[in-house]
Amino acid sequence: MTDAKADPPSSPYLAMFERFRAELDEHHDRRERIIKASRDITAASKKIIFTLQRVRNLGEPVPQFVVKSNTQYWGAIQKQYQAISVDLQGLNRHRYRQITGGNQEFMEALSFQHYLETQTLISYDAAKARIAAMSGEGGAVELTPEDYVLGIFDMVGELMRFSITSMATNGKLPAGRPNKDKRLKQEPPEEQAGDKMDIDEQTAISAEAPEPRNVLNDLRELRLRLEMFEPPQEGKFQDDVEQKMKVMRQCVDKVEKALYSLTVRGKERPKGWLPAASEDKRAAVESY
Amino acid sequence: MAGQSGMVDPAIFEDLQARVDEDTAVRDELKDIIQALEKHNRTISFVLSRAHSTPVANLSSVLISAQDSIQNAVETVAKLSQSASKLPYYKFNSMWSRQVQDAIFGILFWGWLGGYKPTGSTPKCGRLLTVEELGEILKVPVNLKDRDEFHLTIEEYLQALISLVEELSRLARNSVTLGDYERPLLINQFVKDVLAGFQILNLKNDSLRRRSDGLKYKVKDVEDVVYDLSLRDLLPKKVEE
Repeated sequence: MTDAKADPPSSPYLAMFERFRAELDEHHDRRERIIKASRDITAASKKIIFTLQRVRNLGEPVPQFVVKSNTQYWGAIQKQYQAISVDLQGLNRHRYRQITGGNQEFMEALSFQHYLETQTLISYDAAKARIAAMSGEGGAVELTPEDYVLGIFDMVGELMRFSITSMATNGKLPAGRPNKDKRLKQEPPEEQAGDKMDIDEQTAISAEAPEPRNVLNDLRELRLRLEMFEPPQEGKFQDDVEQKMKVMRQCVDKVEKALYSLTVRGKERPKGWLPAASEDKRAAVESY
Repeated sequence: MAGQSGMVDPAIFEDLQARVDEDTAVRDELKDIIQALEKHNRTISFVLSRAHSTPVANLSSVLISAQDSIQNAVETVAKLSQSASKLPYYKFNSMWSRQVQDAIFGILFWGWLGGYKPTGSTPKCGRLLTVEELGEILKVPVNLKDRDEFHLTIEEYLQALISLVEELSRLARNSVTLGDYERPLLINQFVKDVLAGFQILNLKNDSLRRRSDGLKYKVKDVEDVVYDLSLRDLLPKKVEE
């Protein structure tokens, strides 16, 4: 063994170091595979989110064009999770934190679609189970509570964009269907019938039942929950939460401001006017 | 989803908070043990630092008193191992990795100076304890793969080995001051052998890489000492076979 490397006149420790080299090489290979998979999962998740931003309705399965366009990306993510699941088992379950970026971005995509379809926040357990299912036979890739929370913070940004786009194009905040719980369970939603029902019931119900929740109601609730959440008093997770908390608040603020301008000035504007875009420009000018 | 009226099921965040709080509690418990280990490490290095001013002939008293503090460290590592083995190793190991490295270094230095007496052999100066021997001394497993428990890692051992080389380059000079012209030669050979080992590793851009890059300067320091001695014809004759 020691003769294999001829140049240094055989150090008595060479055999030992050769063993170490094999171990370390294995470790670095695993790490690199995970870094790559994490990057690919991030990229595919971003594309999913991008398509999801074209959805206009809340509380119903995403339209066919979204499903069609995103199937390949969900597939790509699954392939990546399967490829590295073996590397993240047993002792190594928490060894390679490099997966955290991919997990967070995936959480963002998963929770965004879940929200669009159900108008609820996907639970940690459900998200964890989803990744476990995608990891295949190699065993589950672990989704940490930290990655879940950070992914949800990022999802707020998507809800903000979703709201602003909707206000700009439809002139109103996306909202759920009235009495959604009763109706949707009885009859699966159909595009046309669903829309009509929407209008009919909105007028009929307003007297007795509360208004359906809109995205801003949900954003405010989510903001409250995230603000109540207490991260550990030290470490990277706390830093991340602190930084994302700021961004999250700004996102909710933006929707509130956009809704304000829609309420105050909306009626004076012709249909098709883009309040959000013009507000943004105005703010930029004022700040100079 | 019982009790949910809005978007968020309150149970989601209650559950997350409980998980995060539990981690914090675990960390607090480990912190006490790790602080104790740090204290024992300081004592070991305090005792062993006398090696720099003690001639080899009188070293045994230093080594014996180091043994007591090493025993304290061993007991603390046992406690750490017991608590940490209930947890996923790599989730928490960054908390104690440095302290474990320091403990390994203390024992490596002690062993190098001749403190280690394995059954059936005589202690000798210049001995490198293997990672397996360290596992025996600290009574913990080494380089585990098949189960998720506390253990010593190769990285920790290598980090401690770098510290040992750094310490020995200092000892080479101090040996000369003590009138010992033999030990620098022993150190010279030893650090060269260790450097040869490090040179076959494919290290990535991490702290191990950065620290091992400095090894060659330490080796050179020792070479300079040997050079100074040979220039003045101070090297013991018998070594120049």
